Amino acid sequence: MSNYTENELAQDLENQEYKFGFVTDIETDTVPIGLNEDIIRLISAKKNEPQWLLDERLKAFAIWQDMTEPEWAHVHYNKPDFQGIAYYSAPKQTKKYESWDDVDPELKETMKKLGISMEEQQRLTGVAVDFVMDSVSVATSFKAKLSELGIIFCSFSEAVQEHPELVQKYMGTVVPSTDNFYAALNSAVFTDGSFCYIPKGVRCPMELSTYFRINAGGTGQFERTLVVADEGAYVSYLEGCTAPQRDENQLHAAVVELIALKDAEIKYSTVQNWYPGDKEGKGGVFNFVTKRGICETNAKISWTQVETGSAVTWKYPSCILKGDNSVGEFYSVAVTNNYQQADTGTKMIHLGKNTKSTIISKGISAGNSQNSYRGLVQIHKGAQNARNFSQCDSLLMTDHCGAHTFPYIECKNPSAKIEHEATTSKIGEDQLFYCMQRGISEEKAISLIVNGYCKEVLNQLPMEFAVEAQKLLAISLEGSVG
Amino acid sequence: METIVSNKLDQFIADLKASQIEIPTALQETAQAYLLGKDFPTTRAERFKYTRLGKLAAAQFHDPVLLDETQLKAYSVVQDAYTVLINNEQVFLPQDLPLGVEIKLLNEASTSFHDATFNDVFGALNALYAQQGVCISIAANCTLDKPIQLIQVNSGGKCFYRHHFQFGENSEAAIYFVSKSSADTIGFAHTHFQYDVAKAARIKVSKIQDCSTGHFDFNEDRAKQGAQSHFEINTITLDGSFVRNDAVVAVEGQHAQTYLNGAYWLKDEQHVANYTTMDHKVANCESFETYKGVAADKATAVFNGKVFVRKDAQKTNAYQSNANVLLSDNASINSKPELEIYADDVKCSHGSTTGQLDENALFYLRARGLSAASAKNLLLQAFMEDVLTYIKHEEVLAYIHQRIAQRFNWNY
Repeated sequence: MSNYTENELAQDLENQEYKFGFVTDIETDTVPIGLNEDIIRLISAKKNEPQWLLDERLKAFAIWQDMTEPEWAHVHYNKPDFQGIAYYSAPKQTKKYESWDDVDPELKETMKKLGISMEEQQRLTGVAVDFVMDSVSVATSFKAKLSELGIIFCSFSEAVQEHPELVQKYMGTVVPSTDNFYAALNSAVFTDGSFCYIPKGVRCPMELSTYFRINAGGTGQFERTLVVADEGAYVSYLEGCTAPQRDENQLHAAVVELIALKDAEIKYSTVQNWYPGDKEGKGGVFNFVTKRGICETNAKISWTQVETGSAVTWKYPSCILKGDNSVGEFYSVAVTNNYQQADTGTKMIHLGKNTKSTIISKGISAGNSQNSYRGLVQIHKGAQNARNFSQCDSLLMTDHCGAHTFPYIECKNPSAKIEHEATTSKIGEDQLFYCMQRGISEEKAISLIVNGYCKEVLNQLPMEFAVEAQKLLAISLEGSVG
Repeated sequence: METIVSNKLDQFIADLKASQIEIPTALQETAQAYLLGKDFPTTRAERFKYTRLGKLAAAQFHDPVLLDETQLKAYSVVQDAYTVLINNEQVFLPQDLPLGVEIKLLNEASTSFHDATFNDVFGALNALYAQQGVCISIAANCTLDKPIQLIQVNSGGKCFYRHHFQFGENSEAAIYFVSKSSADTIGFAHTHFQYDVAKAARIKVSKIQDCSTGHFDFNEDRAKQGAQSHFEINTITLDGSFVRNDAVVAVEGQHAQTYLNGAYWLKDEQHVANYTTMDHKVANCESFETYKGVAADKATAVFNGKVFVRKDAQKTNAYQSNANVLLSDNASINSKPELEIYADDVKCSHGSTTGQLDENALFYLRARGLSAASAKNLLLQAFMEDVLTYIKHEEVLAYIHQRIAQRFNWNY
């Protein structure tokens, strides 16, 4: 192993296959392929939704029809055929599970492969998991414990049935259906997702987490997540995904809305590992996600993401710092390999006084991939003493890949302080030499350097996720991470 | 030109005269194709995101009142220089040029045209309507004893210019380009600069943009740089209602060095936009960009720098920095430093800051008896000095300082 060079590492990266490529065979209840008003009515009816939600969906559909796909991102792909997708797919069982034993063993198996065996989770980790298999959530744990505190954590469709007033009040307030092409599409056809409400002054005692998984072939998945932290509340929310191997491109257009009311804090962590396509760039998931949070006075929203999957990623978790003294944070590690393309970053919109934002973005490109950071820091006129610090670093592993930075900095207030810095480089020969001189093998040295490079971001992840993220990085950079 | 169907652009070009310069047909055809169906870009266009052209579309231009040679000479910044005077359609060329230096009208010079790279409609319009232009050629191994100064005065109306600069191998020259306007006129000027910097040439171009209020000053720089050459463009924007600079430098030979620097002082409703593209095509080159600006009143400043490192450009060292100070509640700064990198063994970085003066520094000066205004002005001056240090010519520096002091009332 002592002769392990960077070129070999690059070779290994290219050759490595997707580790989570399996398909669970469950009869799915899929609506006809295509998209029109009738399909939307059908989805709405299947989910037994109230009239107002159907109206919202139809409105969004009308808006979507007038929109064109955005083309400004630094990605190239064959546009998905929106009429060639089945917009609803749910595991066949209609009745809810009474107990864990009722759950389809095959589903259990899937979860085991994903490493989130429910029994184990319940017993050992204290993490409540709202597991989404395709579009309908099939099991929720720790619900009773949470409801004691008044915390609502359930699937989106359940929330629509049981807490329509909350859903109606907050849905679409951060990401309106007019926001962008994919948000409009999601607003029209979203099937399920998670809903979370933390009442006033409550500190959620455990990390809330959801696993997403695209399963039925040719099914687009349109998740909708809404997290509301009422005044003084705190919640840490985890989202992670792995998707099975598929040859045709799959579309994932989710919308995530976070609302942090006065003095509230939301920590939203993501580990994303959708199927990235094979070595030739065939297949893979299109990940076109709109994530945005709004901070009221003294509130804080922190986004942490580890992105290793998807053929094409188009994702900008953003913070609207509306209230005075609010804080927005964005920590990201994006790894691209083979023919993956990522255009990801964040937007920090400073509206309130004394608002602060921090952006730390680490990109790692390998193979023939293209990895872009695109960010916006906007200081509005009223944002007295706004403060932003951005740092975007890119690491290039081969000479076929690309690393790009497109930061937008717009300042309209003279008291604001904005700093942005970006660097691009490969692993320093001197750093490698230093490690190897001290008896560390080249492979270990590369691993050490990459880990150190990402440390700032990985440190932000909650414990449960940090382990998984490290596992993912290890898989993504297999052969080098020990 | 009848092919253009759009309204505002149509209106804008309706009274333009066809180019008097013999521009290659291929270039003209590309320009026409580019303009087909185009209108003035709106803020939806990425390159005009922060630039509103409404004022230009609405501007009422009058026929120019041309100046005579002595009047034009009065605009000189450098007294001892080979001076070219350009005033709308008239050009006065310098006499008694030393051996190895040729300054001719573009039509009379032997020169080639680069392939078209239009970034906006104005570049394409230039290829069709360029009225005047000069071609400056410096022979190989020729070192200029004194600088060349181009004084371009807009006496109102719309003008398109096209200037070619050909620097031979191992030549050395300093060029000062002074952009001025006659007082109380409204004018639009679009100037295309084409540079060919041959191997090991050492060239320094400094632009002093000092048009008056009511003037639109658009500039387009296109440079090709040979191996081991040193090329520098310093853009100093002192005045002008609406200034737009778009520089593209393609580095085609190894071990070349490029410096792009800019300084801008804005007040009132001024709009200044600096666009740069560093295109690193080959290995072992270096580029450094420093843009600094101050914006007061309702001014808007835009910086959009792009460093493009192609696959073969290994060992590139590129640095880009943009720093701004906002002086008023209504001014705004938009900065977009971009990196687009396709080679792995490179060192590329950029930094951008927007902020205000250091309170400790202010306190230090106040403690030593300076008034608040003086302390502020002194620090602002120091802030901009990073860029001005690239301009080595005393007369030019003195001119810049004097103009700034005059415009902003900066006295100590």
